[in-house]
Amino acid sequence: MVLSMLLLGAYALRHYYLGYTRMHLEHPREMNEFVGFVMPRVTVLVPMHNEEKVAHDILQALVKCDYDWELLEVIPINDRSTDGTRGIVEDFARRYPFVKPYHRTEGAGGKPAALAEASRLATGEIFLLFDADYVPGPAVLKMLTAPFADPEVGAVMGRVVPHNIGDSVLSVLLSLERCAGYQSAQQARFNLGFTAQFGGTVGGVRASALRAVGGWNPESLTEDTDLTMALLLNGWRTAYVNRAECYEEVPRSWAVRQRQLSRWVTGHTECLHNYWPDLAQARFLSRREKIDAIFLLGMYLTAPLIVVGWVASLVLFFIPSAHVVPVLPVAMLIIGYLLFSNQATFFEIGVAALLDGTRTRALLMPLSLLNFFANTGAICSALGRFYWHRVWGSGGDGWYKTHRTRQGGEGPDAGAAPEPAGAARRSVRGLYYADGGGERG
Amino acid sequence: MAFLLFALLFLGVLYLHFFFAHRAWRTIRGRQSLELDMGYVRMENYFSHSFRRKLKQWLDTPPMAQEAGPGVRVYDHGRERIYVTGEVRYPAGRVEREMVVSEGPFACGPNCDFQNEVMVRGDGEVGEGSTLQAIAADGTLRLGEGVTIRRWVDAAGKLTIEADTTIYSRATSRTAIAFLPGASAQSLFAPEIVTEGRDDEPAEVSLWPSGVVLIPHNEDGTAQAESGYDSARLFSMGGGTYLYEGNLEVTAPLHVRASLVVRGSFSCGGESLLEGDLKAYGKIAIGQGSMVKGNLVAQGDLVLCPYVYFQGLLQAGGEMRISRGGRGVRSGLPVAAHATGVLTLESNVVIYGKVSSAERVLAVSTPMAWLQAGRPKAGGQ
Repeated sequence: MVLSMLLLGAYALRHYYLGYTRMHLEHPREMNEFVGFVMPRVTVLVPMHNEEKVAHDILQALVKCDYDWELLEVIPINDRSTDGTRGIVEDFARRYPFVKPYHRTEGAGGKPAALAEASRLATGEIFLLFDADYVPGPAVLKMLTAPFADPEVGAVMGRVVPHNIGDSVLSVLLSLERCAGYQSAQQARFNLGFTAQFGGTVGGVRASALRAVGGWNPESLTEDTDLTMALLLNGWRTAYVNRAECYEEVPRSWAVRQRQLSRWVTGHTECLHNYWPDLAQARFLSRREKIDAIFLLGMYLTAPLIVVGWVASLVLFFIPSAHVVPVLPVAMLIIGYLLFSNQATFFEIGVAALLDGTRTRALLMPLSLLNFFANTGAICSALGRFYWHRVWGSGGDGWYKTHRTRQGGEGPDAGAAPEPAGAARRSVRGLYYADGGGERG
Repeated sequence: MAFLLFALLFLGVLYLHFFFAHRAWRTIRGRQSLELDMGYVRMENYFSHSFRRKLKQWLDTPPMAQEAGPGVRVYDHGRERIYVTGEVRYPAGRVEREMVVSEGPFACGPNCDFQNEVMVRGDGEVGEGSTLQAIAADGTLRLGEGVTIRRWVDAAGKLTIEADTTIYSRATSRTAIAFLPGASAQSLFAPEIVTEGRDDEPAEVSLWPSGVVLIPHNEDGTAQAESGYDSARLFSMGGGTYLYEGNLEVTAPLHVRASLVVRGSFSCGGESLLEGDLKAYGKIAIGQGSMVKGNLVAQGDLVLCPYVYFQGLLQAGGEMRISRGGRGVRSGLPVAAHATGVLTLESNVVIYGKVSSAERVLAVSTPMAWLQAGRPKAGGQ
């Protein structure tokens, strides 16, 4: 009980501290000044498994990106799709010479395995990653490559913004959660000098650094978190670029959300077990960096601790021996503490909504209680299965692809006419608009 | 009774939470997020570009019947007006509140005050001590001594920023910028940025002097300790990048053959060669006549001693100084230098790209004696 309270209290304080820091500590903008001045050869990897509903939107967005085509390679990884994904990808490959599809027909399933195979074919100095349901804006590639001017940066993370906020109450609640996770937590941690968390999409990794740490871990359910820690242990940093924003589709049903969360919980907690001994002894990390990294990996453990707190409170209330101790102060302590801890995440959401100026969405915060309880249940359940698997060797969660609901052409950039075959190759190295019509000089 | 009232009040407050949430949800329901600008592309002359496009739209509307003078068309643009003239020459001390478009050359005498944007279709010349909101020119543009630009300035031709002129935002040119001593701006971007006293005679520097310290070291690395390099502090991060623990202050010429992260301050002797990128947690000082082929990232101050050539990006978390004779050039892409603190450019500095600062970029004069005396003369590579 005491341990649970101490740990939860520490996490609560962390949330408040990050929220406060985000509001008051100016974030470093230096690398934004280099957008367009860092133009390495880039490979964009887009894993796709039965993505016919969304494949066109992301490929269309990528070919419209503001990046020199001579320095760009897009590899859509058609991972054993049985729908029309192959046709869409091949159609783009015919029209754009830098789109080089990779079709997987065998091998282990899941994104990490697909990435590991496709990365061997990639020729870029930097690998950028997008999930198939994402729609990057034209400036995102340059924004994501700019931080690699810093030789210590091994990976870069951009910001994910849900576009289907009006699909369901869950969608809008998840948009608040994402808002807090990126605008507040990621940015605050980066401002404080901690390594950001590489999320495996809307991000990039330096090819040489990836190879140096042994590549993607195909065994991991969260290869992104695994890579963040592997890089950190080797002295590499992950930078965060809040301005590199990209639309995504968030789950609109609780069942889909639960399975997505379950995979994250399992992968994340696996990373905690794999990396905490090395992190604790890491030579190149300061004590505060070690604590931050372990807190990051252990965040899903707070859910069962909260449940333990609730159960213990009930037990304390009902068992007669509890009345021997001064019941009222203890009860007040527990209630006050639970209020404080539970509100901490909402504080972070509030900070992020304030910074984003999304006032209407911020009014939905009371409904976040629903998300909070659903998340707590899903996380406890996933952790239960994870530890059961560790102890008894069976029943672990496998890879699960998040179900898409968007129909082709519904995305935020829908309606944009595809460029004709053989469209003129454009070179956008110029950083200076020509006057008059807006064409680039 | 009291309990009942309390309970009702409590439930009411609780209900209000969900009432507002429900109302917000009804507003959002069925909508998509539109918070991202899906057309955004970062460009250095964005403000002037945006102004030119808007101006074109405004001038597409018919002019007002009223004329402000012979050959002057007036356009109504909400609370302000746009005066369109041919060639124009304003006398000293002129105060103009409206937007001005000159369809030919533009000139104004000293101490004028243009409180709105000025668009010049030809060449422009701004008299000393004048104040402008912003100015865009399709030809060359000369800002006289002590001019103040409250926002941005842009020229298609050469832009000359005379001494003691202050630009509070960006200065851009498609040709070149001459940035004279005492002038300051938040950022400068042009194919060529030049400070006073440019000397195009190529400097001959030796990049392979005797006693050079190699990083990563060869087998005899321990022998280099007396120069300030301790090979035991160097660790490989993999991928051709190395990490050095502590300060790395090498007095001899240094040849860094890989990318390097120094967890302390870094300095190297003159005529060093840095082939990879370099980052230091503290200050960076590059010795005279050195060649920097990669990027330099300093969390503290960054100083390039005289006649340093760089081919990448420079970033300083503190102040930055590019000393006399500094050259920034690379093929294919412009270079860039950015400092969180003041970025100082000495005389005879030429940068093909951009210099910017969160505070200001400042040009300072270097005495001519220094310019002539400090130049490396040794022959070599």
